[in-house]
Amino acid sequence: MTRSTDGKYRALWPRGPRQAKVKSLARRLDTLEGKTVAWLWDYLFRGDEIFAQLEEGLQERYPGVNFVHWSEFGNTHGSEEREIVAALPKTLKAKGVDAVVSGMGC
Amino acid sequence: MVLAKAASGGLGMPNLPVAPFPGHPGLQSIEALQRNTREVTLAGVVENLLKPPSLVAVDGEPGPRDVICSGTFEEVNEHFIAHELSDGLPIVPPTVEKVEAFLRFTDRGPDEVLGVLLPDSRSATVWSVAVNGVMAGCRPEYMPVLVALVEAMADPAYGVEHSGNTPGGETLIVLNGPVIKQFGFNYMQGVMRDGFQANTTVGRFWRLYLRNVAGFLPHKNDKATFGNTWRVIVAENEDVLAKIGWPPNCTEFGFPAGTNAVSIGRYTGGNHISSVSGATPEALLPYLADAVVRQYSWQIMFTVGQGMGTLRPLILLSPIIAETIAAGGWSKQDLKQKLFDHARMSAREFERILRDWTQKPIWDLAEEHKAGHIPKVFHESDDPKRMVPLVFKPDDYMIVVTGDLGRNSCYVFAHNGVLGYPVGKEIKFAARDA
Repeated sequence: MTRSTDGKYRALWPRGPRQAKVKSLARRLDTLEGKTVAWLWDYLFRGDEIFAQLEEGLQERYPGVNFVHWSEFGNTHGSEEREIVAALPKTLKAKGVDAVVSGMGC
Repeated sequence: MVLAKAASGGLGMPNLPVAPFPGHPGLQSIEALQRNTREVTLAGVVENLLKPPSLVAVDGEPGPRDVICSGTFEEVNEHFIAHELSDGLPIVPPTVEKVEAFLRFTDRGPDEVLGVLLPDSRSATVWSVAVNGVMAGCRPEYMPVLVALVEAMADPAYGVEHSGNTPGGETLIVLNGPVIKQFGFNYMQGVMRDGFQANTTVGRFWRLYLRNVAGFLPHKNDKATFGNTWRVIVAENEDVLAKIGWPPNCTEFGFPAGTNAVSIGRYTGGNHISSVSGATPEALLPYLADAVVRQYSWQIMFTVGQGMGTLRPLILLSPIIAETIAAGGWSKQDLKQKLFDHARMSAREFERILRDWTQKPIWDLAEEHKAGHIPKVFHESDDPKRMVPLVFKPDDYMIVVTGDLGRNSCYVFAHNGVLGYPVGKEIKFAARDA
């Protein structure tokens, strides 16, 4: 950081330091057979209909897959989202969830 | 997809897999939606659940005090535009001398962190406030106002992380206290117009900070369908408030009259209400209540649904409207109560908007009341013609007195609910300036 003394501007970086470090993602499953998949929904973009279709499609491919309905968790994009998201690790563990599908974005 | 990828990077998961859905679900028939889900999205979901995500490297960045460009005014501006660090207007080059001049107007240390802002998860430091304040063209003495604004931006209740959502709502900043006259903020005619240095540059600072520190860039994390330009600061007319005995807006946030304070809230739009005529508050109320109702359709999902009681309509009253209402014996609280009682729509219409237009799973007022989610006023009978309020309680209304001294106008803002909930912060001057 040097001062501007020669008629030129030495402009500083305007951003702040990133605080989020790159995280490791959860290990992927070998199969969905016999596993429990949870749906998390932000109550947007017809996720309820899309999740129902996905559930049927997954069930056809993996007859032994189980699901936890989005209504078991509440809205992940509403007035209670912070509480709901903060409680997810505990809730998912309590419900025996192996994998999560979270939607909907646009 | 674009937003998910941009946001996941800021959260430390740049390789979070996303399954695509073709087109927009809101415009598809049931058959098309089912076909797209089965033929496209399903395969993506299966792959994302079973295939290990690829590893990604994250590029390094400059340090907070690093010089990123050295050159003429034009060269610096070209650099900032090329690196997406500018809003497109010329910036004042943020040199260390200028930044230090800003820092002299606060007792906060330059490295103090005012919060961590999503979606980029960057520290909002006092230093970066000064840098962006310089860029926006602010005067150094505005620094305490800028610090208070970033404290408000970082308040979890405000929800800055939602600032790039579809409706593209823009923040309105309301200013109270002696600072209005001290720094020459416009609080009279044309209060929302650019052309007044303090109002304009502080408003520009807000958007620059959202861009550079929070990380909201159009085509990336800012997914506003249309968007808005940043709004200039709205300062309240505290002379008129004192005359009529109404409390200033800062009291909504627990600060007594006379406090230097900022408040923020996000609004998706609004409308000017012209020729509000009548010699008594009773005569003025029907027009005001009607104007409020006409600003609210899909936003009622922030009353019942997505937000649950987080809708806070904001109404600007020109001084002579406020004076006429006060002269009729109404306090600001009385006006709030009257708006709560009269700005209403039928329960049938309320439910229809939620059910048919917002396509949300929460729309049944009886069901929500029985579940204890909403007040009784929304379900006092099963009559679909019963009139229900737009908000949970009278205090959800916010009234600000400002604008032309001689015109009988109002402005009603459509609030964005929980995705930009009103927050207020005190402006704290350096001890030597207090």
